[in-house]
Amino acid sequence: MEALGALAQGFGVALQPINLVFAFVGSVLGTAIGVLPGIGPALTIALLLPVTTRIAPTGAFIMFAGVLYGAMYGGSTTSILLNTPGEAGSIMTALEGNRMARAGRGAAALATAAIGSFVAGTLATLALTFAAPLIAELAFVFGPADYFALMVLAFTSVSVVLGASRVRGFVSLFIGLAMGVMGIDAQTGQARLTFGSPELLDGMELTTVLVGLFAVGETFYVASRFSSQPPQINPLAGGAWLTREDWKRSWLPWLRGTLVGFPIGALPAGGSEIPTFLSYTIERRLAKRPDEFGRGAIEGVAGPEAANNAAAAGILVPLLTLGLPTSATAAILLAAFQNYGLQPGPFLFINSADLVWGLIASLYIGNAMLLVLNLPLVGLWVRLLLLPRKYLYGGILVFAMIGVYGASNSWLELVLMVVVGLVGYVMRVYDFPIAPVLIGLILGPLAETQLRRALAISQGDPTVLVSSPVSATILILSALVFFLPALLKRLRAAAS
Amino acid sequence: MTRTPPAGPATPRPWWLGLAVLAAGGAWLYGALALPQTVRYAVVGPGIFPLLVGAGLVVLGLLLLVQIARGERFAPQDAEDVDVDAPVSWRALGTAIAASAVPIFTMRRLGFPVTAALSFALVARAFGSATLLRDLAIGLAIGLICWYGFSELLGIGLPLAPVLLDR
Repeated sequence: MEALGALAQGFGVALQPINLVFAFVGSVLGTAIGVLPGIGPALTIALLLPVTTRIAPTGAFIMFAGVLYGAMYGGSTTSILLNTPGEAGSIMTALEGNRMARAGRGAAALATAAIGSFVAGTLATLALTFAAPLIAELAFVFGPADYFALMVLAFTSVSVVLGASRVRGFVSLFIGLAMGVMGIDAQTGQARLTFGSPELLDGMELTTVLVGLFAVGETFYVASRFSSQPPQINPLAGGAWLTREDWKRSWLPWLRGTLVGFPIGALPAGGSEIPTFLSYTIERRLAKRPDEFGRGAIEGVAGPEAANNAAAAGILVPLLTLGLPTSATAAILLAAFQNYGLQPGPFLFINSADLVWGLIASLYIGNAMLLVLNLPLVGLWVRLLLLPRKYLYGGILVFAMIGVYGASNSWLELVLMVVVGLVGYVMRVYDFPIAPVLIGLILGPLAETQLRRALAISQGDPTVLVSSPVSATILILSALVFFLPALLKRLRAAAS
Repeated sequence: MTRTPPAGPATPRPWWLGLAVLAAGGAWLYGALALPQTVRYAVVGPGIFPLLVGAGLVVLGLLLLVQIARGERFAPQDAEDVDVDAPVSWRALGTAIAASAVPIFTMRRLGFPVTAALSFALVARAFGSATLLRDLAIGLAIGLICWYGFSELLGIGLPLAPVLLDR
């Protein structure tokens, strides 16, 4: 059991007092931004990036992992109490959880969500512990063509799965790819698509794009369609915690949700939408009283919440072992690795074993911290929801300009922030998905490198891209991904 | 086209979306064609990938135009605090855009804390706040605290006062 020894070593890293502090800060921050609207884990990590340049990468990544997991816990709190799922993964939680809250069972819904997230997060981290080194081992034999095929699979799946329409998903992806090619070409030193501006030689700043698309675009969008009614928060008071019956009805959905969530999250076509839909459908089929679904069935909260958290851990598998991000947050984590001069992939497990295993160990610790932070203290987080929106969004914009200007001190970046913000606004109004832009921007240059490497090896013969069995299989899978929307539609129809 | 779009045109057809994607594709194609497509030692030059991206954008722009011609519906995204059925407040949108554009003009001339105060107050106004002086004061306080925290403690350079007078 090589993994166990490595994990024990990882705990040695994660349990250092300074790293415990980072895990705690990340968890608190993550829960807060999960509860607050207008700011998500991807944006938070991007804004933290410049701040973390001076701390050791291990501490930084432990904090980022806390943000990632914490945002999931915080997100379920808002979907249950406010019926506003912040992200695709908590739509299903909102469905039953909000009905439970309206029926005065909000505390039970929050408890089953938090404990389910803990159980699923811990089990999925366990699966990650053993699966990641094996996949990293496999990845050693991958050639450039195979990596390129994997990236094509990631591109197609995020564009197809995340959007309302495939065309719009691909438009988002290609906008990201287009921004990714700007700046100096790393292999030849040639300036590309800089439109004569010397400031664009370094390419599009990731922080500017993220801040523009998420913070500024969201502020424009919410301001233009602000609902003047204050949010209806379901009261927590009076509801009982989990009764003996609730436990009995929750534990199996937790396990089933984990089983569904982790593998799907780990696939390059993953994401959290499909596993949560699947888990909801399964629980509804298996429920002893299916008529309760739609009126606040606890299984409908327990299963999807577990699936959501397990998928979040699953997303780390392709990220750490192959350097392949499948969500917006994973894309930012990849950029963070690059910031430290690290390249996720099989060699990360050898060259930075302390970092990887410290990170994995900290996931166990972070999960336990989050359970404590979220179960007894949930009342405190609910207070955050009462923050006046005019000040919340004002504050978000102030932090946005710190992120954009502080790192670069460039006037042009401030202009680009507004321009990208307008693009983000238009994308929200016409329902273009945002995440494919980031995947394109961050993964695009890596895909280009692999493509050119593969073609250089083959002396320009393009058949090299399909000639290895691995790459051919993966490319066929990417083609199959095109049929996923039909499957999703059926799942959705089955769920409602 | 014999088929009529369902439920009538709720929104005018956004032709400009397709055209914008097409134009971006054209710009990238134009930029890519100016680059060498091949290099002798590496076979594939720096121009190939931008060329593919530009071509992809052109194709997607055309597809989008076809969809729009067929009456594709674009529903605004759901988000927290958003009422998607409410009429769009152009005034609030304009104020918010102005708030985000403020730093372009004031960051170097007036420094970060004042910029933060102006932007903060404008966003608050876009969200219907009527207490301008209070918003400015809160914004200035946030600006000063952030300047101290980021510039002095974390070493992220933000201008305190007009750049010419900066230390």
